[in-house]
Amino acid sequence: MKRGWAERVHAPTVALGVVVLVVWSLVSWTYGAYVLPSPRHVVIGFVEILRSGEIWTHTAASLSRILVGFGGAVVVSLLLALAAFVSRTARGVVHDVVAILNATSVFVWIVISIIWFGLSSWAPIFTTFMITLPVVASNLVEGVQSVDRRLLEMGDVYRLSGRQKFTAIVVPSTVPYLVAGMKVGFGLALKVSVVAEIFGVTSGIGYIMNYSREILATQMVFVWALVMVLVMLATDKLVFDTLSRRLGAWR
Amino acid sequence: MAVKLAVDEVGKDFLLRVIERVSFTVDAGDFVCLLGPNGCGKTTLLRIIGGLEPASRGGVTLDGEPIVAGRAHARKVGVVFQEDRLLPWKTLRDNVALVLGPLALSPAERAARAQRYLTLVGLAGFEDYHPGRVSGGMRQRAAIARALAIEPDVLLMDEPFGALDAQNRRIMQREIRRIWRDTGRTIVFVTHAIEEAVEIGTTLVMLSARPSTIRALIRNDDPGRRAKLVDDLNTMIMEEVERQQGAHPA
Repeated sequence: MKRGWAERVHAPTVALGVVVLVVWSLVSWTYGAYVLPSPRHVVIGFVEILRSGEIWTHTAASLSRILVGFGGAVVVSLLLALAAFVSRTARGVVHDVVAILNATSVFVWIVISIIWFGLSSWAPIFTTFMITLPVVASNLVEGVQSVDRRLLEMGDVYRLSGRQKFTAIVVPSTVPYLVAGMKVGFGLALKVSVVAEIFGVTSGIGYIMNYSREILATQMVFVWALVMVLVMLATDKLVFDTLSRRLGAWR
Repeated sequence: MAVKLAVDEVGKDFLLRVIERVSFTVDAGDFVCLLGPNGCGKTTLLRIIGGLEPASRGGVTLDGEPIVAGRAHARKVGVVFQEDRLLPWKTLRDNVALVLGPLALSPAERAARAQRYLTLVGLAGFEDYHPGRVSGGMRQRAAIARALAIEPDVLLMDEPFGALDAQNRRIMQREIRRIWRDTGRTIVFVTHAIEEAVEIGTTLVMLSARPSTIRALIRNDDPGRRAKLVDDLNTMIMEEVERQQGAHPA
């Protein structure tokens, strides 16, 4: 059953939103726009970047870095998962590497990437890659391990070739794990790449947020934070939810 | 009639000796039911016959060709497992068509054959359903269609109706008997339900308690003696169950 957008909006959430807006306005009025710009100023700022087109240049700059860094992480994760499927030894190694990467702070990669790549786009790309790799890889390896051995045995009974078993059994069982891993990984990529953009690049949401702070345009910090949230929600709904629905149509 | 399948002095050890020594032959077109107490190695024996598990001793030949686990052979073996083992992301039709992939068939022949066997097991009209959308009985029918579709030299079935409710079980027993008559396949069917075996099998092989040997090999060709046969086999299996429990005190 298809529901209209009006029904999908959660009434208590709307109520909470109203309360937040009221309290926000009051605090802004008490402490001044430098500490907390009013909702009205944020809206004005948002319209401004929409008009000037700035919203697209910085969002595109951030997204293109994410696409390279996160895309690279997905590709490498697929290779790692394949290795983990083929060899038990590789599985153990991948498992350990993922654990170590997972335990490493974002800041470590930011500092290292600046040392290695200097003040260029490669710094946020590398940071995004290193942070999202363990998330996507661990999901994929788990997916590969969860492939039902009894289905593979069925494949053996009917003499399916290695390639046939891979495409008919292994890939479809692993895809839901890949989508889940990519969904979490992409959210992380957006958050992390923006932090990395504070250093040394002259475009992207992270850069413009930090720049806005430096020129004391606090309302623009809020505007760009809003842009980030919108990008995140949009990809979640448009890309990942659609993808899961398409792939899970047989359920 | 010609010997189709020969089980020759087959034995199997895991941590303990499960199958001592079992020999029997199956003629082409026979419907053999393997009976015995739980844990006596019925499933293991079936897996050895299917080449899914190596024997510790002895061997199996199908049309004179040895069946050894992990080694390729030219014979075709269809297996229906306790679970349906259908791919949930493929339709029933595609599940059947998948196993026809390795056979030298044109796409049109593949489609026609999948259709023919799905119809044979009573699934006409459900070809485009995914396994999750049909009942357990229908899933097991699809698994049978898949096994038959390769037109196997022998069809192995491992308690295929174990997960079904009583009514569906009875329906499937009648169905498998009909399918067997219609196709003339050679079937080896594992069950621990004696009534089921007497209802559908032409030859009954009763295994003893672990380590198992053949306790009785009975031709089930006199419908008048069925009630008596059920009684006899029930007595036998009770003895074997007691023996198995006595031999391995908890």
